[in-house]
Amino acid sequence: MASPSTTELLAARVRLPQHVVHRSFVAETVVLNLRTGKYHGLNPTAGRMLEALDAAPTAGAAVPELAREYGVEPAKIENDLIALCQGLLERELIEIVDADPA
Amino acid sequence: MQIQPEALAGPIRERAKWSTAFGLLLAVDPRIDIPGIPNVDGAGVSELDASPSEGPISAPTSQPPTRVRLDPAELERRWSCADRAPERVRELRDGDTVLLTVELAPRVGYLLHAPGFGRILIAPDGAELICDPEPGSSEWSTLLPAQALPLAATLQGFEVLHASGVVLQDRAALFAGPSGAGKSSLAVALLRRGSAMLSDDTVALQPREGMLIAHPGAALLQLHSIEHERLSAHEHAVLGPPETFLGKQRYSPSVSASPAPFGALFLLERSTHGPSVERIEAVDPFALLASTFNLSVRTPERLTRHLDLAVALAATERVYRLRVQPGMNATQLADTLYERLPEL
Repeated sequence: MASPSTTELLAARVRLPQHVVHRSFVAETVVLNLRTGKYHGLNPTAGRMLEALDAAPTAGAAVPELAREYGVEPAKIENDLIALCQGLLERELIEIVDADPA
Repeated sequence: MQIQPEALAGPIRERAKWSTAFGLLLAVDPRIDIPGIPNVDGAGVSELDASPSEGPISAPTSQPPTRVRLDPAELERRWSCADRAPERVRELRDGDTVLLTVELAPRVGYLLHAPGFGRILIAPDGAELICDPEPGSSEWSTLLPAQALPLAATLQGFEVLHASGVVLQDRAALFAGPSGAGKSSLAVALLRRGSAMLSDDTVALQPREGMLIAHPGAALLQLHSIEHERLSAHEHAVLGPPETFLGKQRYSPSVSASPAPFGALFLLERSTHGPSVERIEAVDPFALLASTFNLSVRTPERLTRHLDLAVALAATERVYRLRVQPGMNATQLADTLYERLPEL
């Protein structure tokens, strides 16, 4: 499957697949891919982004809340979120379940 | 124990010997002596039937027993029934020499093979171990406490840490760290101060009623010659006489008869400074994950449990960094630990 474009990614609904579990620690979130048996570490910001992505109707919808939370320009959050999504997609740690009909 | 070929033939129907280790209740073929795992009284309770078709055996407690038996023919029969080529899930080497392999055939189980010792087939649920010693191997049953029983415990829902453990003030103190960091020597020094041994190399942990329980393993303690030479006369007296095994000195100290609630995990680190003990505020989850003994069982349930154990250990807030200088006397280290105990 071709990698989604930035626009497609922001409009997409992103979820953790069933074969992925994650647990939060004080300074790190560990994401475990049960298919490959590999553990991945996320720093606290990336861990929070993952939670926000999993709860938001689209990836783009998670941006305003995160920008508020971190006191950062939405454009900066958007760039970081896209980079994170691309990294997680490559490792099959998230999946796009459907696109925003809008 | 050296097994004669004629002793391996045919099914047996004799009284089982009962033991407990790694949280498992063991019903052991009377022809097998498991080093470091003493028998417990199970008199008048059950029989061990080597024939799998005759149903499960009863047990002295509500816990289903884990059966350990000698039956090379049955091992061969089952392994030959694997419906697809087994997957090699672990290989331990010393240079070009293969020390241990573990192969998985999902419907049949895990086959451990240690050249020079023998093979042990562990059922997929960990409830049965079938042994096939190499002819003439006098030490084959060492494979049971060293590898097979920790694997069986993992399959039965325990998480086994690669750690030494003692019972210190009624709680389990566990010591994890790289090989040669001094885990065993420290355990010896603590034994001398009145602690009870939980296990030298592997400790089975089990979440129960909101706490973690540490189960005793085998009462076998192995020290490199250099560590053996550093022991004080008191420590030698606590341990009793050693025997030489695979180039190390092996002792059989008495082991705690019962499990203990988790007290603390100490991650040993070599350092030019020290000794020092400090609580780790933000535990590296990968350090906890790497402390596992078992890398062979990779089912989703087990992988999730492995991660959850790391969460549970971190949540105790009783994970400490124990810095050790190379060549440090373990007695000094034990003294440092005791001095700090009231604050830990």
